[in-house]
Amino acid sequence: MRLWWEELKVAVPLIFHGNPYLLSIIWFTVQVAVVATVVAAAIGLPIGLTIGLGRFRGRRVLQILANASLGLPPVLAGLFLFLLFVPQGPLGGYNLILSKKAVFIAQTLLALPYIVALTAAAVQGLPPGLLAQARALGAGRAQLYALAVREARIGVLAAVIAALGSALSEVGAIVIVGGNVYGFDQTLASAILFDANAARYAQAIAIGIVLIGLILILMGGLGVLQQRGGGIRLRFRSVT
Amino acid sequence: MGYLWHELRSAFPLITSGNAYILSVTWVTIKVALVSTGVALVLGLPIGLTIGLGRFRGRRALHVLANVSLALPPVLVGVVVLIFLLPQGLFGGLRIEFTLRGVYVAQTILALPYIVALSAAAIQALPPGLLAQARVLGAGRRQLSLLALREAKIGVIAAVIAALGSALSEVGAVIIVGGNIENYDQTLASAVVAQVSNYADYPNAVAIGLVLLALILVLIGVLTVLQQRTGGIQLRFRTST
Repeated sequence: MRLWWEELKVAVPLIFHGNPYLLSIIWFTVQVAVVATVVAAAIGLPIGLTIGLGRFRGRRVLQILANASLGLPPVLAGLFLFLLFVPQGPLGGYNLILSKKAVFIAQTLLALPYIVALTAAAVQGLPPGLLAQARALGAGRAQLYALAVREARIGVLAAVIAALGSALSEVGAIVIVGGNVYGFDQTLASAILFDANAARYAQAIAIGIVLIGLILILMGGLGVLQQRGGGIRLRFRSVT
Repeated sequence: MGYLWHELRSAFPLITSGNAYILSVTWVTIKVALVSTGVALVLGLPIGLTIGLGRFRGRRALHVLANVSLALPPVLVGVVVLIFLLPQGLFGGLRIEFTLRGVYVAQTILALPYIVALSAAAIQALPPGLLAQARVLGAGRRQLSLLALREAKIGVIAAVIAALGSALSEVGAVIIVGGNIENYDQTLASAVVAQVSNYADYPNAVAIGLVLLALILVLIGVLTVLQQRTGGIQLRFRTST
């Protein structure tokens, strides 16, 4: 335990020192997590709803595909994007390789399956009578989707929480596409990897404590939002 | 797209030629995945059962704890495990930092929350009458546990699938605790990172990625078939007979 005490004695002041390096990676991590989750939600929610509510052929295949992509190793997603982004690659002209933009893109791609698969599952779990009734009463597609999101909001928020959690913890993909460049496109998680490999354990622990704090704040906030059934009304204008 | 195709074409011969490096990394990955999932199962299933079936104070707190530990960043778990394993650390006497055994330890710790949290959730979701009836009919703790496992088979296997999947895909903890040492404690996932970031050897990275994908499909596929065959395979537990 002595070693732990030594490391913590060095680590804790690092946090409260207002270290500019630490502040810059905290800010970048928050940006990446929020942007990736929001963009993935904007793209993934309609897809998840279509899979969950739609009554077309191939719906089950799409659901299986979404579930399977949840099981894909992030390093493979990273490798795929890397090969797209290298100068010789199909998107080489955009200079995305080892850039901050690449980190945003990679994390968005990784967040997408969480939103799609978990939203679809949550919406499918709704009592079938509810949606049938809304349809019978003449609800249009948009109204139906809004109703489904409101009713399945616990599951939908669980999807958002899962996406955010992966964006905060993930290292495999962003280390590959971003290069884990010190102080430039590092997130808290990839900075831990960097510092641990450099045997700077006190620094790694300090960053880890900050990361845990950030996870608790962001996921805790969403968790509270999720559980307050009646309190917060997500004001969608649905079948009125 | 021509470039991607080119990389894929240069990757295939590496796989089919039985490249010694790829074979060794694959074997290490299989060992890590099976050992960590197996040990996590042995340790975690009793805990999951206790949380799922128990009627004691603090049961909910334990369940919340298990769920929260699912959200812990693996890189952080890696650093914590490494600091315990360093020579000056609490378990430094074992001398397993930067070894394959260290990787086993880290991955087992990462797999444990999946087994505990998901099996507890699966068991709690069982119809309450079922277990109450077994209790009334005089089932002991052991019999009750076996019954619950058999009935919650789908959820328990889902827990195993999740644990195995995380062991196969994980890089952060493996790199930190094991040091990502080639031909020794490198897994397929961490080898992809090394091949791209350290050597810029893209055909090798793609080849390793394809092998990883195939391994995941085979292992997870087999477990999924096992999970879905409701009537076919009977997990022969001797319950209240």
